[in-house]
Amino acid sequence: MNRQFYLDLAAAGLRMPIGTHLILHGHADPQTIALDGRRLGAVVLETAERFGTPLAFPLMDLTLEKTALLLACGVPEAEVDAHHFTVAPPAPERILLTPRMRASCEAIAHVATRPDVVPIGMAIGPFSLTTKLMADPITPVYLAGMGLSAGEDPEVALLERLLSLSELIVHRYLRAQIEAGARAVIICEPAANLVYLSPKQLSTNPALFERIVMEPMQRITRMLAASGVDLIFHDCGELTTDMVRRFATLGAAILSFGSSRRLWEDAALVPKDTILYGNLPTKRFCASELTPGEVERLAQELVEKMQTAGHPFILGSECDVLSVPGKETEILGKVDAFMRCAYYV
Amino acid sequence: MTTLEQLSEAVGAGKAKDAKALTQRALDEGARPGDIVDKALVPAMAEVGERFKRNEIFVPEMLIAARAMKEAMNLLEPHLVAAGITPKYTAVIGTVQGDLHDIGKNLVVVMWKGANFRVVDLGTNVPPAKFVSAIQEHRPQLVGLSALLTTTMPAMVETVRIIRTSGCPPVKVMVGGAPITQQFANEIGADGYAADAGSAVDKARALVGAA
Repeated sequence: MNRQFYLDLAAAGLRMPIGTHLILHGHADPQTIALDGRRLGAVVLETAERFGTPLAFPLMDLTLEKTALLLACGVPEAEVDAHHFTVAPPAPERILLTPRMRASCEAIAHVATRPDVVPIGMAIGPFSLTTKLMADPITPVYLAGMGLSAGEDPEVALLERLLSLSELIVHRYLRAQIEAGARAVIICEPAANLVYLSPKQLSTNPALFERIVMEPMQRITRMLAASGVDLIFHDCGELTTDMVRRFATLGAAILSFGSSRRLWEDAALVPKDTILYGNLPTKRFCASELTPGEVERLAQELVEKMQTAGHPFILGSECDVLSVPGKETEILGKVDAFMRCAYYV
Repeated sequence: MTTLEQLSEAVGAGKAKDAKALTQRALDEGARPGDIVDKALVPAMAEVGERFKRNEIFVPEMLIAARAMKEAMNLLEPHLVAAGITPKYTAVIGTVQGDLHDIGKNLVVVMWKGANFRVVDLGTNVPPAKFVSAIQEHRPQLVGLSALLTTTMPAMVETVRIIRTSGCPPVKVMVGGAPITQQFANEIGADGYAADAGSAVDKARALVGAA
């Protein structure tokens, strides 16, 4: 899609949360809707309309690819949530999309019937998916960073095998969403952060980050570009400046970071045709000490700093805004607080 | 440098093979297993925690150090059991019901073990009744509750409520996790809150009266 479209949205002062979970859980039967593509698509559209945006973000669910991969590897459905691989599985003969994935694709197709909105797909990043497949993903990543190869260490071998399988399922799901009509996709790579990857180690061995995070992402980027689909890259983990600098090379239409980043400083690292999105601390919106007034103040401050930085920017959430039972009204009130801020600037 | 000092250094640097060899050497030299724990391993992990708090090292370095300590403990445990030496304090820990995340919880386990707590790890997605049952069985001084998701914070509220009203032995409750704050901990009646695995050790020691 024409990059100018996103730049125009930013210039027009768009602000929006990633709010599909919040709106979905305002319905009486969210679990049923999540499995019904047409109704899920209607909720995605309802969310876009509720927050006045043409960007129809899907329901952010980082469990879908793990489920599909484990089922394809023969793991019983009841064990999927808690399963971690201890030995490398063989490549599955075929990976079927799960009912939730099929519903997501149908939702995209439903959204795509509307010419005034952009249907957006979603996938977890290959590295983040890999971390969900191992009981302790951090140690093998560190060992790989120490220079141990798959042949030398079984944990490193498992890491590399699972990374390869993760990439396989992510590409499979992305292709299905693109076929359904996605014109942009948000890739969520929240585990590519300084919890899983030691900045101390990366300072002496930056090649590790390239090999296990950037190269799989670059292959996704090439696949999306070949399909004419825009990349929205999301990482709400705690990042180093070098990580931001590397993500800025992905050619994303939008970069979305967590609230630990100072976006007005990151602006200097990011190309001028890449929108920075975020990054209000929405994970803390259910905390009573963060009042709507404080949210509004934070939003105002962020907008002003981004204006000073002179970088294209869309004010929003640091991640998807989750609906918390008993706190729904309070959280929505805080989202509305930052949405109101738009009109004061 | 003494063998115990070398062992401490090997653990701090995450050198598992060296830690194992130095532990064996210390035993061969006649060091008492309890002294190896108290004078080499616990100080090594305490230093790891301090360096983590100062941002000199990060989570992966902590885990690698813990891995080295585990190698040493694997050698020492039969000797400790034979000598009737057990950790003075016991802690039960788990991620609350509905939450499958365990990285943060696992880090706290590592650091508490490094501080010579006996740690009963209940895993993830732990229902309140399982915490109560573990408290009754293991009689810990401390229970740790972890949550990563804002959506599972209500489960933490419910778990604290049930622990408090279940009639199980008195126990200090400590909470943590990305969305958790000190104010939230106060609101739900927890005894303590720690923002990260490094400070979780200090808070745990203070709560059980070991500080």
